[in-house]
Amino acid sequence: MRSRTTTGLALLTGAALALSACSGGDDPEPGDGGSGGGNGDDGSSAEVTLDFFTDKAAWEPSFEDMNTASDGLAPQLSFTGYSDPTAYDAFIKQSFRTDERPDLFTWHTGDRLGELVEQGLVAETTDIWDQAIADGYVSEDLAANYTYDGKQYCVPLNVVYWVIYYNQAVFDEHGLDVPSTWEEFTAVADTLVDAGVVPLHQMNIIFEFVWFQAILAGMDPEAYDGLSDGSVSYTDPTVVEAMETWHQMQSDGYFIDPGVTTDPQTLLQTGETAMAYFGTFFTGQLTDLGMVSGEDYGMFVLPSVDPGLADTPVVVETGPLCVGTDSENEQAALDYSAWWMGTDAQSAWSDSRGDVSFNPNATVTDEALAEITAQVTGDGYQQLRRYLEATPTPIYTVAAEEFGAFVTNNDDPMGHLEAIQAEADAHWADQG
Amino acid sequence: MTMPTPRQAELQAASRPKNAYRLSSIGFVAPSVLLVAVVLYLPFIWTTYISFTEYNGLGDPTWVGLENYREMFADPEFLTSIRNTLFWVVGTIALPVGLGLLIATLTHGMPRATWFRLPFLIPYAVSGVAVGVIWSFVLQTNGALSQALEFLHLPGSELRWLLDGPLNTFVMIGASTWQGAGVNALLFGIGLQSIPKEPIEAARVDGASGFTLFRTMTWPMLAPLTTVVVGLAIVGSLKTFDVIWGMTKGGPGRVSETLALTMFKETFVNNSYGLGAAVALFLTVVTVLASILYLRRQLADSRGA
Repeated sequence: MRSRTTTGLALLTGAALALSACSGGDDPEPGDGGSGGGNGDDGSSAEVTLDFFTDKAAWEPSFEDMNTASDGLAPQLSFTGYSDPTAYDAFIKQSFRTDERPDLFTWHTGDRLGELVEQGLVAETTDIWDQAIADGYVSEDLAANYTYDGKQYCVPLNVVYWVIYYNQAVFDEHGLDVPSTWEEFTAVADTLVDAGVVPLHQMNIIFEFVWFQAILAGMDPEAYDGLSDGSVSYTDPTVVEAMETWHQMQSDGYFIDPGVTTDPQTLLQTGETAMAYFGTFFTGQLTDLGMVSGEDYGMFVLPSVDPGLADTPVVVETGPLCVGTDSENEQAALDYSAWWMGTDAQSAWSDSRGDVSFNPNATVTDEALAEITAQVTGDGYQQLRRYLEATPTPIYTVAAEEFGAFVTNNDDPMGHLEAIQAEADAHWADQG
Repeated sequence: MTMPTPRQAELQAASRPKNAYRLSSIGFVAPSVLLVAVVLYLPFIWTTYISFTEYNGLGDPTWVGLENYREMFADPEFLTSIRNTLFWVVGTIALPVGLGLLIATLTHGMPRATWFRLPFLIPYAVSGVAVGVIWSFVLQTNGALSQALEFLHLPGSELRWLLDGPLNTFVMIGASTWQGAGVNALLFGIGLQSIPKEPIEAARVDGASGFTLFRTMTWPMLAPLTTVVVGLAIVGSLKTFDVIWGMTKGGPGRVSETLALTMFKETFVNNSYGLGAAVALFLTVVTVLASILYLRRQLADSRGA
């Protein structure tokens, strides 16, 4: 009898453990951040708290500010931030295999967003975009980053313009002015080299592709665009010429040794490099070091390499804010997306982040950033997608390795271009 | 229906408690078995399956047979990755293990030996990624090492420690040695203390001393512990990741990648889950084979002795 009881108890314990392991998450828990209200269909989406996930953990204070701004007007965000982007990407992908889909999350444009769209995992936002464009909140150019088969998905979380930052004291010391042509730009660099100052920053990891992007876009924007759809080869003469120009700049001592791993903002602050080509997010990093815009540093748009170009190309990077299809609060999250694109929300965001906004009506508090935004969104400038987002992932993977090796060794560019083109050939052949 | 014979009835009665006991044992073991199956066997089976598919982490995997393995072995960078992993295995056995043995032997029997061993042990408390960050400050171009060499007018200040392969792999093994030698010294120290004094004394009486004493007496008697330390070093070095990720991220390009980094980058950075799983399976097979071959040989040797 005793042994039968023991057997029964043991089996029951096992079964209970197994059951409890399988039963997580179906019932809403009191106080669960993601289930704080209705689904928005009843028109009360401002009462809803959305489960919001991002890989920008450091931006939590700004999202808290946005909760203050959206209070009573749009849903609140329950913030979960990851600081490791790789772990974050894996987490988001995994979440789509469960019933716990994120209401709202940040992601990447380009191929990565295309993958989610293809699987039907992100909600369509065409209506929101149509309205925002009609209201003048956002440009049609930017919509191209979010368009798949003529429909839009997600809305822009932010926008970043790639420009040159320079150390004001170094420029003053050597009597340098902001260059307005490529010739003036190289003259500035030559002066600095002669004075023993390293003109430019560059890296052999993460941002190893940026000077390829800057030079090719400034030389032939159509060829730059053509690489992203396979209509232009990496071994075409224009692309080779761009690499040769980069090669020459490296040989002329324009760039810091790639073995120096000190943060770029520190190198610019100390004047070890006089200039750095970065996205406008770099302003935040310089501000964190106590540098003052307009006093300690300035910024300018890199002049076109080809002086004959009608419009100066400016590379734009944008990150999306997406709504998970069939997430618990899908409609409320779409309402939040619509509110996010508005002028009030974007002014609050720009104020909190000290950054530019995609919405031209938003107030940008940093004067230099406001000037740059007005400049690049005005006449005489052409916006191009950043190389990372514009390039299919398999090609980008090889290109990043090749550019990293090229930055490190400054060897013959042709071998690197041929290696990238071999991958591009394989990729486009697969696409049929 | 036939009635059981008295003998059968007796047998049934005797076996009843046994069966019940067996059932209850299964009941008690089941949760643990279930746990092991779910967290260990299932991921392994899933990874094996994924390695035969094309999969980006979304939707359903597409079966591609051996394509990932073909692609893996056709990639020259994968062969670099295997070469670097071999450097790590040999380097880890030669340096952190060898140095650990040297420290333990030289300090064995010394008064206040702990004070000599302790400094070597402190870096072990630092995580691998932190070790990577610290050493990349030291080894970067014009970093602390280059400046020190230049100041002392010693050769090497012009070397690009972290940029050129396989030099960057060698210096990273050096950084790993800085972290790992102390714990090996600790383990060997414990081993040395557990060696009985009598045979050593007998050998001394017979005239053995210094290196001869170590080679003929101490080393063979340390063999069981050496097997464990070297075995752990082989497995640890085959899956080295954190120090490299903290220092070069496998670059520049892919010149300092090891198999563990290739696996991680293919899966999570390049989104080729199938290829990443193929590398993972290859690494698992190599690790298990190396461990089995090494342990079988060592255990056979010790049995033979």
